[in-house]
Amino acid sequence: MKNEPLDQLVDALLEGDQARAVAEVVGLQNAGVDNERIINDGIEVAMGRLDAKCTMEQFNLLEIMLVGRAVMGVIKTLYHDAPPPATRGTVVLASLEGDVHDLGKNIVKIIMMAKGYRTVDCGKNCPLEKLVDTAVQEKAAIIGISGLITSVIPLVRQVVPLLRARGLSQVTVLAGGAALKQSSADALNVDYVADAVFDGLRYLEGLPGETA
Amino acid sequence: MNSLERIMAAVRFEHSDRVPVVAQVFGHAAVLADVPLERYVRDGELLARCQLQALARYGYDAVFALMDASVETEALGSRLNYRSDIYPYIERYALDDAANIGALSVPDPRVQGRMPELLKAARILRREVGDEVLVVGCVLGPMTLAMQLLGAEKTLFLAIDNPDLFARVLDFAVEIEISFGLAQIEAGAHLPMVFDPSASPAVIPPQFFREFELPRLKRLFSVFKSAGAAASWLHIAGPADAIFPYYPEAGVEIANFDYCVDPLRASRILPRTCLDGNIKPISFVDDAPEDIAAESSRVLRLFKGRNGLILSSGCEIPPESSPDNVAAMIATSRLESQ
Repeated sequence: MKNEPLDQLVDALLEGDQARAVAEVVGLQNAGVDNERIINDGIEVAMGRLDAKCTMEQFNLLEIMLVGRAVMGVIKTLYHDAPPPATRGTVVLASLEGDVHDLGKNIVKIIMMAKGYRTVDCGKNCPLEKLVDTAVQEKAAIIGISGLITSVIPLVRQVVPLLRARGLSQVTVLAGGAALKQSSADALNVDYVADAVFDGLRYLEGLPGETA
Repeated sequence: MNSLERIMAAVRFEHSDRVPVVAQVFGHAAVLADVPLERYVRDGELLARCQLQALARYGYDAVFALMDASVETEALGSRLNYRSDIYPYIERYALDDAANIGALSVPDPRVQGRMPELLKAARILRREVGDEVLVVGCVLGPMTLAMQLLGAEKTLFLAIDNPDLFARVLDFAVEIEISFGLAQIEAGAHLPMVFDPSASPAVIPPQFFREFELPRLKRLFSVFKSAGAAASWLHIAGPADAIFPYYPEAGVEIANFDYCVDPLRASRILPRTCLDGNIKPISFVDDAPEDIAAESSRVLRLFKGRNGLILSSGCEIPPESSPDNVAAMIATSRLESQ
């Protein structure tokens, strides 16, 4: 068991079968497999395959949500409802004021948590000041903004200047979502516009030093 | 040839004097008239007046009796938050638990929520433009209305965890839309467009669309056509080309295609379905009139000789769009047809 791949767990996660994934994890724990290995060889492998699938095929929210739910079930089982230990930086997520859609943001949160980021969720309809205050308090390395309506674009453009004014020029700002991804990083005044969550993750992983 | 005739010629793939243009101007009509969006989406008479003013300004081929995506759910008890400058959003969903679906009943469009105001808008628009310009009403598609009743996350998980109950919610949504769509036709709309963004392949897989959406869309369009709808118009934004193969079976005659769909691919998959699209919506905010003109020319060129095209944006023209950009799309269609 110690060196065998965790295929059953990976399959259950990719099928979005939460009950089976949790049962697999309980079985692995009973067999003496530690949490770190379940994360590295189970969740991380599943995330990698999901990334490849989303690159090759049409990305759809339903499948990603099911995988996300299964991943959350596993994490809850491993850490008893506490967040998993972060191995990467802190990401602050929000849908900005006027935008009440948060499905995309919630998926980003789960996937980033599963990839080892510490996530802080400012929720939907979030005022700019709250987002920046949270980034300061939480020592954020990354800000992720999800936008489904174009009317938030003027707010998105203000994020980097507001961060700079608070001395946070090193924070990487990512934007995504149906409305924002029609635009460019220059037009939105952000570091990167992600087509989907894994696209954003690849960008972060490619950054020098990967503060992310 | 008037606007309605021009659009119907495009639906039938017949030659017309020029390619019809339908700018998807909804809230933008309020911004043009300096009217807060909140008033626009609550007052049918005001909505119709703004639409007519926008029509007079731009000279395109259709007007819309369309408020926002929360009309039906509000009529069923969802609580909305209205703001002056954005579309209303749902604060509390009509349905806490899908198992309570039996407690809801189909709302009467003549009296419940803002439905009567939307019908008033359709009535005024038709009275003012007659059969010169296409009057488009709007109902949500089953998937989108289910999400508006229950919330997106709950709806999607329900679809997997309890498909039978999910199907009941969809069937209930269809009953609501039939009632609302028929009332719109009776009020004067030439057709109720079926707006179903949540059925996009960006949200659900195509197989799921085939199983759950297709039979219900088929029923909706069949009922509307029998009641005299001028055409069956399905509006699904995003990468909808993956579900285009199902459109003919659903009875779709006008298919919206968004900016991310390759026009030639859309044309190949739907050789006998009128396509409307596909200028990138954000371009109407960010770009210059010459960019819109160039993009419009590109679409017109790609479809030259096909006839079955309505030049349009890929989705709604954002309310805050530059009027010069909207005008550039219409001007290009006229220029290129000379």
